[in-house]
Amino acid sequence: MKINISRQYIYLMGVSILLFVFVLLFSFLVLIPEGKEYRENRGELKLKSNDLRKYQNLSDETEAKLKELQKKHRHVIVAFDTQFTPSRFKEQHKNNFSSLDISKAEIIEDTEGFVTYEVNTTSKISSPKSFYDFLDAINKSDWIIGVNFPIDFKRDGELINSSFTMKVYCNAKDKNATKKEEK
Amino acid sequence: MIYSYIRPRKKSAVTPEVKLLFTFFGITLLMLFITYAFLLYKDYNFVNDLNLIAQKNAVVNQNLSEMKSQIEFIEKENVLAQKIQTKNSVLKDSITNLFDLVPQSITLSQAQLQKNALILHGLTPNKDVYSFMLQAPLRSIFHKTYSSFYPAGDGWLRFVSTNYTDEEATIKEEVIENEN
Repeated sequence: MKINISRQYIYLMGVSILLFVFVLLFSFLVLIPEGKEYRENRGELKLKSNDLRKYQNLSDETEAKLKELQKKHRHVIVAFDTQFTPSRFKEQHKNNFSSLDISKAEIIEDTEGFVTYEVNTTSKISSPKSFYDFLDAINKSDWIIGVNFPIDFKRDGELINSSFTMKVYCNAKDKNATKKEEK
Repeated sequence: MIYSYIRPRKKSAVTPEVKLLFTFFGITLLMLFITYAFLLYKDYNFVNDLNLIAQKNAVVNQNLSEMKSQIEFIEKENVLAQKIQTKNSVLKDSITNLFDLVPQSITLSQAQLQKNALILHGLTPNKDVYSFMLQAPLRSIFHKTYSSFYPAGDGWLRFVSTNYTDEEATIKEEVIENEN
């Protein structure tokens, strides 16, 4: 039995097989690996986007907390940032004393971001109550100041001579500024 | 000489079958290339987006660590400020209590407050008044109390009272109080 296939059909068959093979090869060698990569990239992007969103949420929460803290402790933050100036201190607390002398501030400690200055103070007060008022006022003053021992009270007629040391606490970044101010 | 009554048709290589085949394969290939182009474009976009996210992440991370260190520092400042303010208040209370201890009949001329000591100079009408009204309460506060007297001239006595606290004993007492 003789099968009669025309030449045209043989060409068509050849072209068809060729295109079919190309489609198969292209799909398996190029398209599928590319699709795999696309899927992996999409997953990774989703993961990273979620991470970023989490970080941003955390950042927003931290920012809110920071702002709240800054608002709540504004006095403390400003006090630590304020340079200590004896003249301003005298001006603020002159009402508690009949006379007030303050020595030059000297650095005695420089640790963990804070600088501590020691200031010797001699003053005259009319009664111990003035000193109590001063201790109350110092907690609300423009600086963070601690009154330290030794404290000496000596009667001088109607007045009391008092001498004591004060420790002024500042942020370390203000160290140079305070030095300049003293000069 | 004519062998047929119809005119011969033009023969073309592109037969309807070939057209159909090429259309089918053309569409298939077009779809494949479009898909491939789409995947390439998407991959390119993903890479860009990933870079962008990495940059944003770095910025957010940096901001976060800066804010955390700021929070830590503010908390540290606040703790230190509280500690100093408490110390000032305690000092005020201590001085108030000290002056409240001194009875009306005794006049103080000098008071030296040190970290672990209190030295008082003053005038007392007699030793008994001093012993009962000043020395007794001082003894209850301090671990060691020494007193010396010398005449003031008008029948009164000048006194110097030196009082010390033992730091170790104070710490032990605080520990016992806290345990209770």
